[in-house]
Amino acid sequence: MLSLDFLDDVRRMNKRQLYYQVLNFGMIVSSALMIWKGLMVITGSESPIVVVLSGSMEPAFHRGDLLFLTNRVEDPIRVGEIVVFRIEGREIPIVHRVLKIHEKQNGHIKFLTKGDNNAVDDRGLYKQGQHWLEKKDVVGRARGMQCSFCWVYLCLSTVSKKSALLFLGRCHTFRYWMFGVDTGL
Amino acid sequence: MAAAAAQGGRSGGSGGSSGAGGGSSCGTGVGRSGLLDKWKIDDKPVKIDKWDGSAVKNSLDDSAKKVLLEKYKYVENFGLIDGRLTICTISCFFAIVALIWDYMHPFPESKPVLALCVISYFVMMGILTIYTSYKEKSIFLVAHRKDPTGMDPDDIWQLSSSLKRFDDKYTLKLTFISGRTKQQREAEFTKSIAKFFDHSGTLVMDAYEPEISRLHDSLATERKIK
Repeated sequence: MLSLDFLDDVRRMNKRQLYYQVLNFGMIVSSALMIWKGLMVITGSESPIVVVLSGSMEPAFHRGDLLFLTNRVEDPIRVGEIVVFRIEGREIPIVHRVLKIHEKQNGHIKFLTKGDNNAVDDRGLYKQGQHWLEKKDVVGRARGMQCSFCWVYLCLSTVSKKSALLFLGRCHTFRYWMFGVDTGL
Repeated sequence: MAAAAAQGGRSGGSGGSSGAGGGSSCGTGVGRSGLLDKWKIDDKPVKIDKWDGSAVKNSLDDSAKKVLLEKYKYVENFGLIDGRLTICTISCFFAIVALIWDYMHPFPESKPVLALCVISYFVMMGILTIYTSYKEKSIFLVAHRKDPTGMDPDDIWQLSSSLKRFDDKYTLKLTFISGRTKQQREAEFTKSIAKFFDHSGTLVMDAYEPEISRLHDSLATERKIK
């Protein structure tokens, strides 16, 4: 019989104490989750904090930077703003600057984006036949930046795109926590 | 001897429950209670890391609880602990509801429900903090002494303790609330934890138990004099 000395503390606990330990762990996880959901509600964006994956927005953003996003309906999108958007059919959002806007009287807009460090605009990245982006594709607008080096995520993404995506997909609950932001190419 | 009797009582209780579950096969019933016996180590001397403050405090608290419950045969009242567990369970429930709702209805539609859950969660956290600070107040045991005649309400004994961080002075406070007169009396002692643990981190019950008994008797004899 293998000696379970390290489990002595657990064995000495009664049912209530064991349940309290489980609850303690649950509360730590819940606190993190609630803070994240709270941020989601306050900013209105489904992914309030994202990580920049590639260098298409240098010298403004470097790889590994954290971006804080908001997605308020009242704020109109204007040329020169940096938006994070998702293209249909792709999981990872992209952060680029707005280049051109077509706006109707009722507020409906179509806009074109381009990365600061890219030579051409993003039409090559959009879906086949799509030339403009719309409001529904937007995840949020960049409001703040935090220089940091998210080494774990970057290491994973350099090793293989697939493993980075798997890392994203597996943490389903915290899928939005470490959304990578990428130029796409 | 009291510890062995309690151990027998506990395993008897668990054996009884497993017997009720599997009445046809006595063999599995005995086997299950045997495993439960091996799991529980009430008789083994308590050995902890002597430099870990919270482990020291927990082991002293648990041993004081054991002395009071087994030697004096008091009945533990779980009201305070249950209150705390309920508040924590409700908080986790709100978190789980938020998680599932957000999964079923993706973000923009789930905004009102999410806002409600987040606010409720933080309100529950505030309630929990107030509860542990003002109602629980480091009390870890509430025990009742049933009146043998059955006429008067129970006497209540409360144990609370404190051990400051990186300090070696352990304070144990015993509070007696008479059932009849509702008067409250307390006694406490502050001793260095070095008096109760040996160099390897084993709690020496022979040094600790007399302290508890002395505390208890000092409050009990006052009652008799009255």
